[in-house]
Formats: sequence, C-alpha cells, structure tokens
Amino acid sequence: MNDVTPEFILLALVVVTALAFDFTNGFHDTANAMATSIATKALTPKAAVTLSAILNLVGAFLSVEVAITVTNAVIRIQNTDGSPRAELMADGGHGLLLILMAGLAGAIIWNILTWLWGLPSSSSHALFGGLIGATVASMGWGGVKWVGEGYKLDGVVGKVVLPALMSPAIAILVAMVGTRLVFWITRKVAARYQESGFRWGQIGTASLLSLSHGTNDAQKTMGVITLALIASGWWTDTAEIPLWVKIACAVAIGSGTYIGGWRIIRTMGKGLVEISSPQGMAAESASAAVILTSSQLGFALSTTHVCTGSIIGSGLGRKGATVRWGVAGRMGLAWLTTLPLAGLVAAALWWLGHAIGGSTGAFVVFGIMCAAAIYMRWHSKRDPISHHNVNDEWSDSKDDTEVDVPVSGGVR
Amino acid sequence: MEQFLAALDGSWRVLAIGMLLGAGLPAVFALGLRALSWGTGHDVAPDGTVAVVRPHPLGRVVAYLMFTFVVLAVLVGITYIALHGLGWTITFNGAVPVLTHK
Repeated sequence: MNDVTPEFILLALVVVTALAFDFTNGFHDTANAMATSIATKALTPKAAVTLSAILNLVGAFLSVEVAITVTNAVIRIQNTDGSPRAELMADGGHGLLLILMAGLAGAIIWNILTWLWGLPSSSSHALFGGLIGATVASMGWGGVKWVGEGYKLDGVVGKVVLPALMSPAIAILVAMVGTRLVFWITRKVAARYQESGFRWGQIGTASLLSLSHGTNDAQKTMGVITLALIASGWWTDTAEIPLWVKIACAVAIGSGTYIGGWRIIRTMGKGLVEISSPQGMAAESASAAVILTSSQLGFALSTTHVCTGSIIGSGLGRKGATVRWGVAGRMGLAWLTTLPLAGLVAAALWWLGHAIGGSTGAFVVFGIMCAAAIYMRWHSKRDPISHHNVNDEWSDSKDDTEVDVPVSGGVR
Repeated sequence: MEQFLAALDGSWRVLAIGMLLGAGLPAVFALGLRALSWGTGHDVAPDGTVAVVRPHPLGRVVAYLMFTFVVLAVLVGITYIALHGLGWTITFNGAVPVLTHK
C-alpha cells in the first residue's frame, strides 16, 4: 500500500491538480470582493489583494463543515454518506480518480482561458461543468443528476442553472435600490465627505466578501481531494477532512487571491461601470447581503454572478451613469458557456486519458493541462495587466478588437 | 416545474432579505454620513467669503449611532460565517440575533 504504485502516482496528480484549481479559483475571484475597492481607490491594488488573500486564508480554515458530498449535487459518483460508489473503487479507485483528474483539468483550462479574456466566470460552474463532462464520458448520461426531485432544489437544473439565472437579477435589483438610496440621502453632503466616508464602508464590505469566499470555495476543493483520498484507500472517514488537506487548500486559495486576477479586476472595476465610492459600497453591500442570505437559506448561487450583477445594478442606480452593455454581454456569454465548455474539455480529456490507460493516461491529461496553462500565460504577456495599470482608463475600441474575436471564435 | 417553483420561492426570500440588508444598511450608513456633515454644507457665503462652520455636535452623535449599527450588523455577518461551519446558526428572535445549534 505504501509503495509508489501507479495508483499512488495518479492520486498525487489528482491532488496537485485540485490544488492548482483552488489556486485559479483564488485569482479568478479576487475581483468579486476587491474590484470596486481598487477602482475607487479605497485601497491600493496591492493592499486590496493582500487583505483579500489573508481573509480567504482565514475563511478557508473556518469552513470545517463537511464538504465531502460536494459532487452529490450534480453527479452520481458518491453514495449519500460521501463514500465513492463501489464500481468506481476498483483498481485503487482508478475510475473515480480519472473522472476527478479530467474534470479538474477541464475546469482549470476554462478558468485560465476566461482569465486571459478578462471575463469573470464562475469557478463553481467550471468545476461542476468539468466533473459533469468527465462523468458523462465515463458513465454515460445517467451518471449525471440533471433535475432534482420535488421541491428540493437539486441536480444541475436546481443547483446550478436556475440559481445562475436568478442571482444576477436579484443582485442587480438590490444594488440598484441601494445606490439610488445612498445618492439620494447624501445629495447635500459635500463630495469630500461622501468619498472618504464610503471608502471606509467599502473596505468593511469587501472584507466580509473575501471571508465568505474563503469559507465557501476552499471547501469545494477540500471535498474533492478528500473524495480522491477515500477512493484510493488513503482515508476512510467521510465526516472529517484531513488537516493537511485543509492547510494545503487554504494556502492555495490564499496565494491565488494574492496573485490577483488583474485582467478580471480591471474588467469588473473599470470595464462595466465607471464606479464611485458610494456605488462601490452599495454594490458590495448588495453582494454580501445576497450571498450570506442565500447561503443561510440553502439557495446555492455563484459569487461571481452576484458580484457582477451588483456592479451593473450600481450603474443603473446612479443617474447619468452608463453601463457598458457590450462588456456585460460578453460576460453573459461566458456564463452561459462555462458549464458546457468546461464539460466538453473535461470529456475530451477523459476519453484521451482512458484510451491511453493507466497512469500514463493521467500523465498525458496532466501534461495537456500544464501546456495549455503555460501557453495562455505566455499569450497574456502580449497585453499584460498588473497592479500597475489595472486602473487605467477603459478604452472600448482596443478592448473590442482584442477580446471580441476570441469569444466569437469559440474555444481554441 | 417543481424545481422552478422552488427556485422562485428561494429567490423572493433572498430578494426580500437581501434588499433589507443590502440596500438598507448602506442607506443607514449614508444617513450617518449625512448627519456627520450636518452644518458643514454652507461653508461658502453668497458673497464668496469662506466662513468655517463647525459640524453640529448632535449630528456627530447621531452619525456614530448609525455607524455603530452598521458595524454591529457586519459583525453579526462575520459571526455567522465563522460559526456556520462549526454547526451553529443564527436565528432572529424578533430583531435580536440568537445563536442556536443546528
């Protein structure tokens, strides 16, 4: 058991890939909490990512709630108690590990691609999409729980599709009303007081968002890693997550957040709406309230969709402010395509890994993922965005030629 | 169809509570800012001379009451996040948050 067997190598690859996904999840979502604070200069870019990273790290440790059944919402690879299905446990869990490997790789590739385009897409959708794709490839359409039963929201429709349609609308409404109220109440307040006062409010709400992100998103990866450990026989307790997994996931999501997805921060902070401090605070309060309320009520929704909706709402709520609907439309397109395209990539990777077979197949999948990541990283150098130029004026023409073309051209 | 109805049911709850907290709390914060600047609005006289008008002390008291309220609400939010994972949840007995075991 303790020898370096092919199964152990496969497990190690899955764990590394899961941590890499957690890292992309971190930088992909820095923008959700911090884009508006950076755009209104409530915080310097470096201070913002540092604060957010620390709170994500802390948040990840707070999420001790059992997350092992995370995949149960959309696919049927686990029993209700969290243990993997018996038929996937053969050969040291090879079947399950390959599904997780391909699913995570598909999610990572899609996350990096949307980062390259500067589009905030949901990391949870990418993860679920990847897992669904790999599961369909491996077990057929029946392996996926498409629609939940009765009035309990479950399955792909209940846990992913419907909340994704509803949550931006809710956030837009709340942020719009909040922005309107805030501007109306402070209309006679000197601009100096307005700006400085609301900046403090922004820092508070942004911190709240970062903390809740750490608790929500890190535990998804913890669940996936623990599932892989159980499948390969290295862990048996379905009610507890190993401490080293918690530490590794917390560090991965925190460091990802610290790296900062500057391309996405720029789109959300400067591209959608020219945002002022009162709008920023209204948007962030709306996001925090909607996210915390829905998690209290057990209504699963994506942080990314809520935060983007809130920013659009803050633009609609301020008289004279404009929303760049072209940018918003591209985001909408990315949201619609995240789940199916991450799924397609994952399915293709699963077929390839399965056709080659053994741990060689998994290595090839891992290699393709690394190559794709390095290529896209290299490609991003042509048009670098960092904390130096994240707040530069937004220019639509430049943006259109560089971002529109790849979106309409589909996935490369 | 049942899934759709369930989602609608969840949505209006999130919308109602989200509106109360997400739009209400910034509004309270804004009222605080307005109270804080009470009396400072007219520091330039019509003839152009600048008169320094000190903020009203009562405005300051009201402002800090409002800010305290908002900070308390945020602290409840943080407590919720922190304790949710430990198997506790916050229920609202009237308006007072109470911690209960799930």
